[in-house]
Amino acid sequence: MTQPVLEIQHLKLHFFTDKGVVKAVDGLDLTIREGEIVGLVGESGCGKSVTSLAVMGLVPQPPGKIVDGSIRFQGTDLTKASQRELRQIRGKDMAMIFQEPMTSLNPLFTIGNQLIEAVRAHRSCSKAEARELAREMLEKVGIARKGVLDEYPHQLSGGMRQRVMIAMAMILNPRLLIADEPTTALDVTIQAQILELMQRLNEEFGTAILLITHDLGVVAEMCDRIVVMYAGQVVEETDRYRLFRQPRHPYTQGLLLSIPKLDEQKERLYAIPGQVPNPYQMPAGCRFAPRCTQVMDVCRQTVPPLAPVEQGHVSRCFLHQKEESHHGTD
Amino acid sequence: MALIDVRNLKKTFPIHGGVLGRKVGEVVAVDDVSFSVEPGETLGLVGESGCGKSTTGRTIMRLYEPTAGEVEFAGKKLFQLKAEELRQVRRDLQMVFQDPFASLNPRQKISTILEEPLIVHGLGDAQERKEQVRELLHVVGMNESHASRYPHQFSGGQRQRIGIARALSTRPKLIIADEPVSALDVSIQSQVLNLMMDLQEQFELTYIFIAHDLSVVKHISDRVGVMYLGRLVELAPRDELYKKPLHPYTEALLSAVPVPDPDAKKERIILSGDVPSPDNPPQGCAFHPRCPHVMDVCRETRPIFDDAGGGHFVACHLHNAKA
Repeated sequence: MTQPVLEIQHLKLHFFTDKGVVKAVDGLDLTIREGEIVGLVGESGCGKSVTSLAVMGLVPQPPGKIVDGSIRFQGTDLTKASQRELRQIRGKDMAMIFQEPMTSLNPLFTIGNQLIEAVRAHRSCSKAEARELAREMLEKVGIARKGVLDEYPHQLSGGMRQRVMIAMAMILNPRLLIADEPTTALDVTIQAQILELMQRLNEEFGTAILLITHDLGVVAEMCDRIVVMYAGQVVEETDRYRLFRQPRHPYTQGLLLSIPKLDEQKERLYAIPGQVPNPYQMPAGCRFAPRCTQVMDVCRQTVPPLAPVEQGHVSRCFLHQKEESHHGTD
Repeated sequence: MALIDVRNLKKTFPIHGGVLGRKVGEVVAVDDVSFSVEPGETLGLVGESGCGKSTTGRTIMRLYEPTAGEVEFAGKKLFQLKAEELRQVRRDLQMVFQDPFASLNPRQKISTILEEPLIVHGLGDAQERKEQVRELLHVVGMNESHASRYPHQFSGGQRQRIGIARALSTRPKLIIADEPVSALDVSIQSQVLNLMMDLQEQFELTYIFIAHDLSVVKHISDRVGVMYLGRLVELAPRDELYKKPLHPYTEALLSAVPVPDPDAKKERIILSGDVPSPDNPPQGCAFHPRCPHVMDVCRETRPIFDDAGGGHFVACHLHNAKA
């Protein structure tokens, strides 16, 4: 098995606010191996984006604080790294692209300036060399038009800006690319272009990708492995085939049933009852218990552990654990 | 007879520029769009950002003044109505907006928000209105304790329910819903879609459902229209459109949707380039610079939006030629 690029262990990231403590990430384990594409899915507020910000060391502290756990990137624990060490890793070995490319590009500098700066921050080379590298990278992401280097972000379309962001992230050939909802702001035909580009770069450079999204269609097409989060915790993790064929956690099951699909027609969609719990008052036991249709007494009192249901498939639910012990006594 | 009949609708917005702010050009947001909707039917309008689907909805409501064209709603020509007549017609014609955060007044209680349309249209006395508000909340799956709260105290899904309740308050015939579920999470999205379908049955509503999500539109619509750069390029019964798309743009659009099934095999048509700017749309067919089947005629002549058989309308020379 290939080496892990990123290994998050038991990460707890809490926000201490005037209204109380928000346990945005509460005991998260996540491993990404060389060249792998891992999807992190969940609905708004489940902690998926905060996780990515924690990896990049971009969580404002305070109010945020990593209260427990470690984030190992190629052996270095990022939670203990200094700002200087983080700066060396960020942008070079680990890069990130965001949902809204317009807010991540500086409107006052040309595309060329920004790409050249990214190169020269990490590598000693002349401006001309950096510019040449920038031009090559833009070509790789499908921007062949000359002159883009001298244009400003506002002159580009949303899809083009996201390509520039990807070029900037990939220019130093990082080991890990974190993509937080990279196509959510884009139209579906442009999304298809960007996803294809990311897949191509993953194959060509062997860059591992952590893809954060709420779109189950996108993960089904892109990811080797999928991690489902709910209310700050991982509830299920497995490869994409098993996740879509045999989801085990009631939340994952409900989620898959509630999306309308192009290739089937249902009278009614399944709807998960209720809503996501208030982050200030998480349920005592399983966080999904108040919405779960198969809830048992134990679920309301004890937090279920994330346990294997089969080889390479874990789920945080007492239902399977009951099955397990049942099988054991047979 | 159709409840609403839209004929050759056109809406342009001026572009002002220069020191004196003179008009230097115009954006053709909606260009010669025609369709009709039968009572009780749901017509879906899909397309990518900037295709004019929202402007179409807003122009029908006369939230924007139309540039050209005609809309006949329940026998009345909407664009010829005077202010007072229009106000009365709006009782039967309501709208639900995308952003439930922006479309509810943050300073008003839910009861005030829901009561206002009733007051505006002079429906019922204070006691009846109060009773109505209570009933409306029930209808959308909320309860009367919610009436005295403010919008910020609700989640996105609940706010959208309130938006729907407000639209329902005057017992309209037609609701134009502009991206009503796009701001919502999937698990909440399905709750709201189910609610809209239940209400349609209960109150015999007709919907124009505007969205960019092709799967959502497929789920709720009886017929679906596809827009590109201000024009309606295809309009057909739902199953027909999704199974046998005729326009190359519809085909590409459908193939681009990521499917939540890793076993699905599909041929993806990746379109090159971006949607052209609507202030300078291409000559001929607006889609021709990106079309994989482009012919010479497409560059010069705009295809006619015509019935290719069985109510399957398409604006494409590939199919117009056959006819």
